[in-house]
Amino acid sequence: MEKPEVPVQLPVSKLRARSRRDFLLFGAGTLAAAAGFWWLMPDDTRQMHLTPRLRDWMDSLDARLGATPERREKYLNKTLTFDDDIAEALYSPDRSVRTYSKSDVNPLRNNYNGRTPGPEYLPGWTLTLSGLASGKIEQLTIGDLLSKFAHHEQVTRLFCVEGWSMIAWWGGLRFADLLRAYPPAPGAKWARLDSAVGLDSSGNPDPYYVSIDLPTARHPQALLATHVSGKPLPLAHGAPLRLLVPMKLGLKNIKAVTSIAYSATEPADYWNERGYSKYDGL
Amino acid sequence: MSSAAAAAPAAVRPAARAVVVKHHALVRLSHWFNVPILFGLIATGLSIYWAAPVFQHARDAATGSDDYVADLGIWIVRHVPGAAGDHDPGGWVYNRLGIGTFHLAQALRLHWLFAYLFMANGLLYVLGLFLGEGYRALLPRLSDVPEALKMIRYYVGVVPAKLFRRPWPHPPVKSKYNALQRGAYFSMPMLGILAVASGWAMHKPVQLPWLERLFINYNGARIVHFLVMALFAAFVVPHVVLVFADGWDTFRSMIVGWSERVREPHGKA
Repeated sequence: MEKPEVPVQLPVSKLRARSRRDFLLFGAGTLAAAAGFWWLMPDDTRQMHLTPRLRDWMDSLDARLGATPERREKYLNKTLTFDDDIAEALYSPDRSVRTYSKSDVNPLRNNYNGRTPGPEYLPGWTLTLSGLASGKIEQLTIGDLLSKFAHHEQVTRLFCVEGWSMIAWWGGLRFADLLRAYPPAPGAKWARLDSAVGLDSSGNPDPYYVSIDLPTARHPQALLATHVSGKPLPLAHGAPLRLLVPMKLGLKNIKAVTSIAYSATEPADYWNERGYSKYDGL
Repeated sequence: MSSAAAAAPAAVRPAARAVVVKHHALVRLSHWFNVPILFGLIATGLSIYWAAPVFQHARDAATGSDDYVADLGIWIVRHVPGAAGDHDPGGWVYNRLGIGTFHLAQALRLHWLFAYLFMANGLLYVLGLFLGEGYRALLPRLSDVPEALKMIRYYVGVVPAKLFRRPWPHPPVKSKYNALQRGAYFSMPMLGILAVASGWAMHKPVQLPWLERLFINYNGARIVHFLVMALFAAFVVPHVVLVFADGWDTFRSMIVGWSERVREPHGKA
């Protein structure tokens, strides 16, 4: 229970000294917080706030404190790495992704505004595997993949980094089965997946590629999806083969996969190069 | 219980003054750390929210908006003189109160930074509450219900009573806080827990499925997270107004930790 407040007699000089100390700390803290906050804000965000004079004043304060944009990028990227490490620590290969029933399925949403290859590309499509233990480069057709591997289905939610999500009924082969049939070279920890979707809305080259850690690829719910809603994938959703890793953000679920390259070191990732996280584990 | 009695000890011993200890140093530190942290969380959170608003309606043909927050911006630009003529009315809230539209990657990085700071700061606060035993004054009690009603009656009548120069005594308060204060100050750490829980439910719905289910589903967590933000923002206005109304001693006590209001049990903010 709450105790009654007990007054204490303190010398006025002591109270004054403590007040001075605490208010000086408070003032210094306020200034440091303002300088830190200003330093962390993106450059164009700063342009929308304060007056030009105040902006200059804050900029020079940050410059004097050594709070440069380079250091900001360094620390913010460290934050991303820290958060990725937490996500990796939370990840368990035995934990199943929540599944839904087919009646929960939402309309498919396509968030890509670039150009998708036309149907003429499908007959010539192959999946190229490299970085294999055999040292060979394998080329697989969609017929090979459909006939060699067991078909698995799952109804899972796809989470977009933007915040929207959708439940879809997917079908395809397990990435783990492909890894078993074509084992990567010893020491491989990563895969880089490339896509046939590689042109922006004005037709300029905009290749898409993602990195996936092999523990995720080996998860039983990591599919190389060939079907959605019981039908072959439409072109807008990555025909003929897309990655489906429901334990990762949607941006890792690369469409129209054309090649998988295994490596010991972490490969480049399209969205990581644009300021997003690398690991993206949900 | 007269406030004049506060001056008595000073008259006896002019070199000393009677004070009561109000807030532990860690409580004070975390209180002020919360200001830039919550500000940063809300500003970056709005820019994340912009990318895919959870509260949407059918697209309005006139404004092109399907987002209630964009509607609020459009309303502000139309009706608030200082905002008139803004080139992006639908983005007003995101640009002025957030870090801007089309800033998702930057907003996410900053949001994680402020979120980890918020959680660390929360631990600092809890530690301070226990070290200073401040938690005792925060715990709700049964008498809070009738006392809260008395406080509401007091606040409703205080301005008319002042205008008509009628006596309007403050209800007696035996605790560090009155019932309304306790309700507000107790609900803040609870809101903080809800903000962190709904945040993790959205951030790791696959590895923390039980947490996602606590909010029914992913969108449930998004809705709770947004509402918690609105409640935090709503708390700030009366909090600051009442501290100003209550005076310098109350404000100072959150910086230095002690108060000179020894014999006056009517702390209001």
